[in-house]
Amino acid sequence: MFESFVEGLFVVLQWQPFLIMLMGIALGFWVGLLPGLGGSTTLALMLPFIYKMTPVEAFAFLLGMHSVVSTTGDITSVLFGVPGEGTTAATILDGHAMAKKGEAGRALGAALMSSLVGALVGAFALALAIPVVRPLVLTFGAPELFMLAVVGIAFISSLSGQGGRALLRGFLAGLVGLVFAMVGQDPQAGVQRFTFGQLYLWGGLDLVPVLVGLFAIPEIVDLAVRGTSIAGELPQGNLGKGAWEGVKDTFRHFWLTIRCSLVGTFIGIMPGLGGGVAQWIAYGHAVQAARDLKEREGFGKGDVRGVLGPGAANNSKEGGALIPTIAFGVPGSSAMAILLGAFFLQGITPGPDMLDKHLTLTFSMVWTMVIANVVTVAVSFFFLNQLAKLTLVRGAVLIPFILFLAFIGSYTSNNHLGDLVVFLACGSLGYVMIRCGWPRAPLVLGFVLGKIAENNFYISTIRYGSSWLLRPVVLILVLLTLAVIVYPLIRMRNRDATPEKAA
Amino acid sequence: MNRVLSLRFLFALAVALVGAYALYASLEWPFRTALFPRLIGIPLLALSLLEMLLSLVSAEKEREGHAVDFEMTTDVAPPLARRRTLAILSWIVGFLAFILVFGFPIAVPLFVFLYLKLVGKEGWVLTLSLTLVSWLTMEGLFNRLLHLPFPEGWIFALWS
Repeated sequence: MFESFVEGLFVVLQWQPFLIMLMGIALGFWVGLLPGLGGSTTLALMLPFIYKMTPVEAFAFLLGMHSVVSTTGDITSVLFGVPGEGTTAATILDGHAMAKKGEAGRALGAALMSSLVGALVGAFALALAIPVVRPLVLTFGAPELFMLAVVGIAFISSLSGQGGRALLRGFLAGLVGLVFAMVGQDPQAGVQRFTFGQLYLWGGLDLVPVLVGLFAIPEIVDLAVRGTSIAGELPQGNLGKGAWEGVKDTFRHFWLTIRCSLVGTFIGIMPGLGGGVAQWIAYGHAVQAARDLKEREGFGKGDVRGVLGPGAANNSKEGGALIPTIAFGVPGSSAMAILLGAFFLQGITPGPDMLDKHLTLTFSMVWTMVIANVVTVAVSFFFLNQLAKLTLVRGAVLIPFILFLAFIGSYTSNNHLGDLVVFLACGSLGYVMIRCGWPRAPLVLGFVLGKIAENNFYISTIRYGSSWLLRPVVLILVLLTLAVIVYPLIRMRNRDATPEKAA
Repeated sequence: MNRVLSLRFLFALAVALVGAYALYASLEWPFRTALFPRLIGIPLLALSLLEMLLSLVSAEKEREGHAVDFEMTTDVAPPLARRRTLAILSWIVGFLAFILVFGFPIAVPLFVFLYLKLVGKEGWVLTLSLTLVSWLTMEGLFNRLLHLPFPEGWIFALWS
């Protein structure tokens, strides 16, 4: 096994696969930066190009491209408050808030370094987990996956603000997200739900215009209202210096970064959950790491831990998602489903053969993920200071370009003008939510998890009746959900009671 | 009366209506289609009614209700902030109108030019340079390289 591990590295470092990987990285770099152009779409577009490549070259190209998309997507999220990728939206909450405080360099440094750590953890998990992951995946049937979705929404809702009122709004936002996910043809009977006779809505709402609208419009409005640059009236000297500070932040909060990487890996392993979920759960975990309520209030306003968590998770989930894809041919995400197509195009069947006959190829994938991220982060660091300076450009100059990217990003998800209407509608919703103090994170998580939750809830009910509620893992997850809801309330109550006692 | 007309109350009311509509619509669906909407619609309606009630009867505690999310700036005087908000929202809707009327390839440089000149009050050199950049990105990257299928603007559809 160790021989294959080393051989996998040397295979990737041969000049031809290495050059092809660099081409993939360059492509992924730009795809990540541009909002709306998703990693999955680009993977699909690039599939025809791998026909004449060897398996090592093909996966060096595809994985090299795919594994850096989230890394550079963070850059757009931090600088402009527009998600570069659907999987990098959570980075906006604190990353863009840091940019507004003149700490763009630090936020970018933290995002890139945590992405690298996340990618390494994901790749390491992939290398270690293939022989032992089977029991874990088999433990999670439909009831457990449904409950996992419930825990996720409860978790992010409870961490979205202070006190009972914020908890209420967090849950409401999560439920609204679940309603959004119901739009379109229902997966069980094919009945149209909430489509209002519009053909465009038959396929449901697309994640990209929803995300871009929810996050970009409120930021653009705020930038226009302030009438300054993104970083406001701050002295120019601080911007670039922060990049190294962001790197140090990653190591200052190293265990948080590692934990969030593991969260990402675990969610990546679970079929169907994907990166859209991993980043928000990791964000929730980062918020949970706050020592007290005052510290928690800093989240959403520029706490670097809010960048480290999602930054690490959205990269580590790639390694996790590859585990069931390689080991069982069960894709962990839509991107992995496309990658599965690449396996078949190359005449390789995922499964036990990948741990035996094709072990070197499997390890070459691990090394591709590692090398691609190291190269991307190293290259990005050369440009960080210049990129950070974009936050000093006057708002009036930036706004038309941010709007251009937001509109085109939304449109490219389906190449339909309806996407622009969804983008504007979700933008208005995001703006009103901000004005009313409703958190947007639970809405996004509810939306991302909605279809998974519905399918698994339906399968659980039809297959097991109500007895699925008594399955051991489900019971543990129910208790976890209750704890997640009740614990912040108890903590709030204790906090309120303490000054009275003192008085 | 002020609380009834407050944005928070009205937003909670809108969400309650969404919940009520989800439940109402589910009445006509077969069981397996209606199962999940009902599971979600009932708590959505109940919790949004509670939020409406709370918006009416109780003022929020100082530290309660703050979302872990960014907050709009408070450094600008409210009348000016309102004026600027309305202006930018009009520009955003205007951009959509440009796209519908002229199509993406013309709407993008036109919007960039008008925004830079009218709102940014930028000089001609910068305005024309950035307009050119936007046109090159639109035409070169999205149209020629990526071959994105941009629909024709209404105005051209009318002519042809």
